[in-house]
Amino acid sequence: MNAKKAIIITRENPRLAVITLPAAAPTTEFAAELAGVCQEINFDTAIRAAVITGNGPAFCRDVASSHQTPAAFSLAGPVASINCPVIAAINGNAAGMGLELALACDIRIAAKEARFSFPSIWHGLIPSDGATQRLPRLVGRAKAMEMMLSGDAITAADALRIGLVSRVVPAEDVLEAALQMGREMAGKAALALKYCKEAVYKGLDMTLDQGLQLEGDLYFLLHTTEDRTEGISAFKEKRKPKFKGK
Amino acid sequence: MSADQTILYEKQGHIAYVTLNRPQVLNIYNVCMRDELYEALSAVKADTDIHVVILKGAGEKAFCAGADLTEFLSAPAPTAARHVRWQRDVWGLFLSLPQPVIAALHGYVFGSGIEMAMCCDIRIAADDCVFGLPEVALGIIPAAGATQTVPRAIGPGPALDLLLTGRRIGAQEALEMKLVNRVVPRSDLLAAVEALAEKTTGFDQRAVRHIKQAVSRGLDLPLNLPLRG
Repeated sequence: MNAKKAIIITRENPRLAVITLPAAAPTTEFAAELAGVCQEINFDTAIRAAVITGNGPAFCRDVASSHQTPAAFSLAGPVASINCPVIAAINGNAAGMGLELALACDIRIAAKEARFSFPSIWHGLIPSDGATQRLPRLVGRAKAMEMMLSGDAITAADALRIGLVSRVVPAEDVLEAALQMGREMAGKAALALKYCKEAVYKGLDMTLDQGLQLEGDLYFLLHTTEDRTEGISAFKEKRKPKFKGK
Repeated sequence: MSADQTILYEKQGHIAYVTLNRPQVLNIYNVCMRDELYEALSAVKADTDIHVVILKGAGEKAFCAGADLTEFLSAPAPTAARHVRWQRDVWGLFLSLPQPVIAALHGYVFGSGIEMAMCCDIRIAADDCVFGLPEVALGIIPAAGATQTVPRAIGPGPALDLLLTGRRIGAQEALEMKLVNRVVPRSDLLAAVEALAEKTTGFDQRAVRHIKQAVSRGLDLPLNLPLRG
């Protein structure tokens, strides 16, 4: 672990990567480092799931409002490119780019005290790291418009109600809840997790009929894996499966 | 109609009842059920006298507890299985039915059970329902449409929460997630579904069919196209 790095990546176990974001506002260097971490996760076939959390009172801050030039970097892009499931442990506020990063994760667990907002409209700007696309796809157009056009923060309870987060827990339990979910996923078949994610995201950009074809193709591909034989055999023999990730 | 049929198909007035009928094994879905379901749905599709369809499960414990895994490892090679899947596309047929289909859900609704329910247009759940998509724990993914139908119905976030964890949820959480339209006491399930079906049968069937088609096909089109069409 290099001390100079802003992002801390640890292994909760060999199969579960934990990414801890710095407390400072995102910068170009931070984005480049995050892109490297995400690529590393995709190359490391031992990793079956990832958890992203914040290392400060906030989950991830917005890009500094003093930023005079447009932020020419993306945090959400690299996170969205991770093939395995990614769980956001939203330990505190998520605003602007910080929230856009959370939207690029697959499942969001939030602290009760966390607030969610897109303040860019106050600065005469729009969210520019994917939220205008990911937010309406996640919570529907009406709620997405309200958040982005008002710039007002919503509570974790509101976020749960509109489907922005899946679960709300006390702040001190957020990371553990995400790690627990991550550990369970890390015990599952890596390829099934990846293919499931691929079928959902690619499928939403297709017609239903095309999406069903994609699902079918990925399903039959999985029937060539050792993990599928192990999974079904274990079920029949009423024992816990031992997946190898191949 | 015989007791060893895995699908029961009945008509009462303008309502068709399709019943999953393997109650001794929680109505788990097997190859035989697939073939009989294909036949029943083909009959429904061709019958203009049917205004609405009710899909339900026989027995006390389950609507459908998933796929019959005893058939799984004896299946043909994946390439052959893929060929068969598209040759007799039961889920494509199900989704193409012109009539509204209402699912009457009770007890266990796992895997293929959820997937069949998602092929329906309206889902009414008994308060004893337990839902789950356990496929990922078996090293596979759902293959009767759940990776497509569930995110379209409830959004990708909640869908992945179910698909990637395989966790079980009760009727109330399913309602909050909008996975089902309504939750009713177990004893009222069939009456609630039939009341809904009766209401639909009373309308002009051209209007009913056009509404279903406009919604299902419209979701695959950009907004300005269906409005102009």
